[in-house]
Amino acid sequence: MKPEQRWECLDRLDQGIVERLARDARISNRAIAAELGVTEGTIRTRIKRLQNEGLIQFTVITDFRMAGSPNLTMMGIKVDPSQVSGLARRLSDIPEITCVVVLLGRYSLLAMGLFTSVEQMNDVIVEHIRPLPGVQSVETSISVDSLKYEPGIAKITRARAID
Amino acid sequence: MFDATGLFCADCTTGMISGRASRSRISGGSDPVHDRGGDISGEGREMQIRSGRTTAPPSLDSLDSSIIDILRTNGRATNQEIAERLSITAATVSARLQKMEEARVMRVVAVTDFAAHGYNVIIALGVKVQGRDIGDVGRDLAELPQVLSVNVMNGDYDIELLVALHDFSEVQNFLFQHIAVIDGVMHIASGIAVDIVKFEFNVVPL
Repeated sequence: MKPEQRWECLDRLDQGIVERLARDARISNRAIAAELGVTEGTIRTRIKRLQNEGLIQFTVITDFRMAGSPNLTMMGIKVDPSQVSGLARRLSDIPEITCVVVLLGRYSLLAMGLFTSVEQMNDVIVEHIRPLPGVQSVETSISVDSLKYEPGIAKITRARAID
Repeated sequence: MFDATGLFCADCTTGMISGRASRSRISGGSDPVHDRGGDISGEGREMQIRSGRTTAPPSLDSLDSSIIDILRTNGRATNQEIAERLSITAATVSARLQKMEEARVMRVVAVTDFAAHGYNVIIALGVKVQGRDIGDVGRDLAELPQVLSVNVMNGDYDIELLVALHDFSEVQNFLFQHIAVIDGVMHIASGIAVDIVKFEFNVVPL
């Protein structure tokens, strides 16, 4: 099930709800309802709809330290153009790979992963990525400092949606 | 499974050396470390480079971990619902959550899709820097609201950005009037995202 592009805009009420949840994801429906002057039931229905449409999701994020202080590694992959889609899917099946983006321009695919050692990173690249048919080259770059990250905005893929 | 003795301690001020010591004290877990916050295994820590903060992880007890587990599946579960499932009081849940958030261990977030913000163009941008400190350039870039993430890299490009724009008409102006004009930016390479197949960032710098 390929997540299709959703162009429709959120109305003002949706936007107000999203804004408040972005500030505090644990705020009660009742508090949002009071602030926006609607009923609690309306808030509940709206949030449910946003969740069903894959526009919002509530989750726990944990700090790097809790996962053994891994380093974010980006892999710019050049592949046979006829095999891009298939390879994108196979890369996302690798559990260590947390992000797969089909690109136009710099590379065919951009993959990211969190690794706690050079050996672990090398193993994934040499054993699991380079042997895939169609992969021409893998260019690796390791993040040494994260200056900004917005955890509240992301691509919600179907696989992630639990609710 | 959990470290039974490891009372939650937020030793954020602990240095690297004592951090290693406290890690080895709680080592021994064999589960994937990202599954259980309290289960920190001791090997493979060659790379400890983080944003100028200590990397010593605070330890979580099994109650903290259970609360996190419930919130992972339903981040909107009320403190009362969590309390009932764990046979504790809502006040305890509230206190534990506050403690973990203050120690920057975890956060419950509302993640909204790019589409909900009207972001239809996502660009992975590589930046090469010359004649200026890379961190300074990165901090200037981080101030742009369209820039969702900034990473200083050790590879071909010095900085990697994730940029979100509303439509293609904004691309030229943004790249040349906002990015390229920053002092020290020597070269930019853009990759336009046409499909985001996987995007799971549950482990982040907090």
